[in-house]
Amino acid sequence: MDFTRRKLLKTTLAASAAFSAPHLWLPASKEAWGATVKKGEPIKVGLLFSLTGALAVPEEDSTLVLQYAFDEINKNGGINGVPVEPVIVDAKSDFNVYTEKAKELIIRDKVIALFGCYTSASRKAILPTVMQRNHLLYYPTCYEGAECTQNAICTGPLANQHSKDLIPFMVKNFGKKVFFVGSNYVWPKESNKNAKIWLEEAGGELLGEEYVPLGSSEFGPVFNKIRDTQPDFIFSTVVGASDIAFHKQFKQEGFKVDKMPIASLTTGEIETRAMGPEFGAGHFLSAPYFQSLDNPTNHKFVEGFLSSKYGKNGVTHYNMEETYLSAYVFKYGFEKAVAAVGVENVTPRIIRDHSGGVRVEDNVSPEGLVWIDEDNFNTWLKPKIGQCQGDGTFKVLKASEGQVQPLPFSIYPDSGTCTKDGLKAPDGKIRTNVI
Amino acid sequence: MGNIYHDKKLQWLAYAVFFAAIGIVPLFVGDAFLLNQLATYGIYAMLALSISLCWGFGGILNLGQGISFGLGAYGMAMTMQMQTQTDSNPIPPFMLNNSLEHLPWFWEPFSSTAGGLIFAVAVPTFFCAVFGSIMFRARVSGVFFTIMTLAMLSAFYTIILDQQAYTGGANGLTPPASLQIGSFEIDPYSATAYWIVFALLCVATVLAKLLTQSSFGLVTQAIRDDAERVRFLGYNVAGYETAIYTISGMIAAIAGCCWVMLVQYVSPAQLDVSLSLSMVIWAAIGGRNSLLWAMIGAFLIQGGQSYLGDQFLSTWLLLLGGFFIVVVRFLPNGLASLAEAGLGWLSARLPSKSGRAIESVTAEEGA
Amino acid sequence: MDLGTLANALILGVSIASIWLVAALGLTVIYGTAGVINMAHGELIMLGAYSTYMLQVYLGVPYLICIPASFVIVALVGLLLERGLIRYLYNRPLDTLLATCGVSLVLMQSVRLIFGSDPKYISVPEIFSSNIALGSVSISTFRVIILAVTALLVFGLWFLFYKTRFGVQVRAVMQNKEMAASFGINAGRVYMLTFSLGAGLAGVAGSLFGVLAIVLPTMGASYVVQSFLMVVVGGGSLAGSVAASAATGEMQSVLASFTNATLARFIIFVLIVVFLRFRPQGLFAQGGVRR
Repeated sequence: MDFTRRKLLKTTLAASAAFSAPHLWLPASKEAWGATVKKGEPIKVGLLFSLTGALAVPEEDSTLVLQYAFDEINKNGGINGVPVEPVIVDAKSDFNVYTEKAKELIIRDKVIALFGCYTSASRKAILPTVMQRNHLLYYPTCYEGAECTQNAICTGPLANQHSKDLIPFMVKNFGKKVFFVGSNYVWPKESNKNAKIWLEEAGGELLGEEYVPLGSSEFGPVFNKIRDTQPDFIFSTVVGASDIAFHKQFKQEGFKVDKMPIASLTTGEIETRAMGPEFGAGHFLSAPYFQSLDNPTNHKFVEGFLSSKYGKNGVTHYNMEETYLSAYVFKYGFEKAVAAVGVENVTPRIIRDHSGGVRVEDNVSPEGLVWIDEDNFNTWLKPKIGQCQGDGTFKVLKASEGQVQPLPFSIYPDSGTCTKDGLKAPDGKIRTNVI
Repeated sequence: MGNIYHDKKLQWLAYAVFFAAIGIVPLFVGDAFLLNQLATYGIYAMLALSISLCWGFGGILNLGQGISFGLGAYGMAMTMQMQTQTDSNPIPPFMLNNSLEHLPWFWEPFSSTAGGLIFAVAVPTFFCAVFGSIMFRARVSGVFFTIMTLAMLSAFYTIILDQQAYTGGANGLTPPASLQIGSFEIDPYSATAYWIVFALLCVATVLAKLLTQSSFGLVTQAIRDDAERVRFLGYNVAGYETAIYTISGMIAAIAGCCWVMLVQYVSPAQLDVSLSLSMVIWAAIGGRNSLLWAMIGAFLIQGGQSYLGDQFLSTWLLLLGGFFIVVVRFLPNGLASLAEAGLGWLSARLPSKSGRAIESVTAEEGA
Repeated sequence: MDLGTLANALILGVSIASIWLVAALGLTVIYGTAGVINMAHGELIMLGAYSTYMLQVYLGVPYLICIPASFVIVALVGLLLERGLIRYLYNRPLDTLLATCGVSLVLMQSVRLIFGSDPKYISVPEIFSSNIALGSVSISTFRVIILAVTALLVFGLWFLFYKTRFGVQVRAVMQNKEMAASFGINAGRVYMLTFSLGAGLAGVAGSLFGVLAIVLPTMGASYVVQSFLMVVVGGGSLAGSVAASAATGEMQSVLASFTNATLARFIIFVLIVVFLRFRPQGLFAQGGVRR
């Protein structure tokens, strides 16, 4: 008994000591978390993608292409002579793991930037952590916009850029009547809001709008509705495994691709390969990049990547290329930041602040020149329209005339416009970190 | 004589040691990530505790604990989201994007922090009470109740996913700032957050333990073993079942609140079948008949998942799956049965102190 | 909504019902006979799809032969599973749930290690990629194939359970294992064969679903909960599963035509809960000792 009491006393003392220790009670200064690059050490960046689970199909490619990009950067002298070292984690396709791994990379591994996510849901899952630590996320794929954070840079197309050319193109070539099909979540719904604007401008007519549950492979009811309404083409924002089922059942239900093609924002080389090219052939895709783009930079990228040890999956596609660009956006932003404040003072936020206007020239960017918007830190790019061929590759039919401006709040003018420091409401007030 | 594993006093001592051990962690851990991660494990432990209470001591296998956890988490996320809204921005941005002009009525109570916190726990608890009483009065039990919870979970998952304008859909809710209580901001990476989780876990465990040792707990354990006999003895079986199911749900709801406090994020993933299944697996591996071991199970499995995963990226699931199979096949009461056997062996070799052994109530009750 | 639309929705409902039923058949046999809650059922479906893929790619077996071949392959996997693990757990039904969870993880991860996590593709004869139209009513050929295979399987199972000596043994074991054993029926053997049969049925479902959708290591997960609901609503009997699938399939199709697919799912889940509240033993409960 005596022993227990003494032990208890000790514990109590220790506990009260802890309660009075200020470092344990006060929230730590957030700037103290800002990672910096230490002399003589490589630049550490975090690669936060799923290597297992349902999201592994696109995200494993993202990890591979980033490793390839950083190898390439390191081979050419790194960033200001310092090599980049990617820290790779597996988010296991579980949004809870995304948050855990984001914390691990930021706080424990002290990486200077995160590259990660393929879905809006995982991006939203980690953004609070990224913002709380004033860190930096490179989000390398398309998304819906309506976000204005001071801690993210996106290299994929926004909803306002994505379908801008596709809808008028389809209306002109196939007819006015269209049916929208999407997966039931935020990105398809937001994309369709934008598509409706282009549709109205092109004089088209919307016959119906259907959303199927994520991951669902039952498109029977949707095709019944399509058969009833007889549109001239289908506009699809169905994603992932559902998208493959959608294209397969399109053919199995007896629809003809030359009469009623699917114009998609998602069905790229990786999907057509998985569904079997005969199910993809003839359909259309809008994307900033296709493997078949005919320019020297792309030839170099495709050959270099596929012959490297990272090219085992044998294909390049738009999501990969956008991810590849993000590595160079990081490199140029980092170099600008170093030139401005010196390498020892570079923090993730400073890199972000210096990334506005960063250009990836067409001798580096396989899709051609792109640059980062100085206000909202999304990418100016040229969406292109491709038609899937019998072998699963795409024939590029049309490229946008100039780079299209990314406008995350284009359909919500009442919310304001995204500026460098936050979302500027019509009344002039600025709110930071709107997600 | 008796196995010291069943000795009540020693059991309390084991609990005291366990909580002392995890309570002093912040004194030694300066790594904010680790502290935050351990606090998250504390939440998993709370969930395992709630499953153990309901399943191990009430015989009700609940594969829908994600409902309580998720609703609690959504309540907390709504509260934190509303804390960041000001008079000029009265409603969350995602609602604007879904063309809502006014705050939906069921968001109103969450405008005040106190009201929000109360509702975050009260709503799931109330749901459990209603759902439980309807089901148990109809004498739905055993595997059928399990399947019902599964169906209910899928229903909630689907509707939250679908009602994007009110719930944020698949993206969920991401309150952009930490929880504020009065003027005090709870940094999720601080020892404060850790201690909040720790204190709640501690209180929940002590109450649950007292409950299992009370006459109420004895009746629920009797119901677990044979509901018909208890009914014939004149007990209101449905009432007892509803009560223990509701208490377990409330603990899960509190865990949900803590979760959002730590990660500032909730999505339909919290109501995914796989998470609810994991909770059952933690309790089963640790030992469902033991509150303490269920919690240890959660720590072990989640810890293993986090750390094995990094080292054997491609084989981690294989290892986990194999581990489950071996434990279930050879240790039906989980790791707790190892401890029981070990202590049994030990007590057989110790000089018997008969006084203690007699005090233990039943051989079925675990540590 | 005009009559043609409704007719289409009803016909599609039959097809959806057949898909749900073929996914649930194996589970019905396993759960109905042995009371085993097989959470690895979805992964057995996935194995069926992968065996079809393998046979097609490596051996060039025509698709229609792949279907029975998948049955045999997955039935053998089921046999191994039963002998190696499940048979030790028959008197602990909830533990079978946990153990088979472990099995599902192991199967999923093994397939991923062997085949990678990228989707695979099963090719079918060109004739399956068309539809059959009668006036305003239309249905795809492949859905008709699924329906035919399902009908064949249901008939086969009915024949097996009600017209053969083995079926009498199975039903005897279902009703009272000890009594059956005392009459000289080898209950262990019956369990082993029914488990294997159930696994094989999952294999058939897999080779069909691989064509309809996609072949992925994770494809099985989406079928498990839905199949369970069918079996429990049906009460664990063959007729019950048929009726439950028919009702829910029709509801899914018609509700999805009126509203949307997500809402239709929600309504079905809620209706299932309400139904089980009033009839926890399911549609056609079996005479048996299980309470």
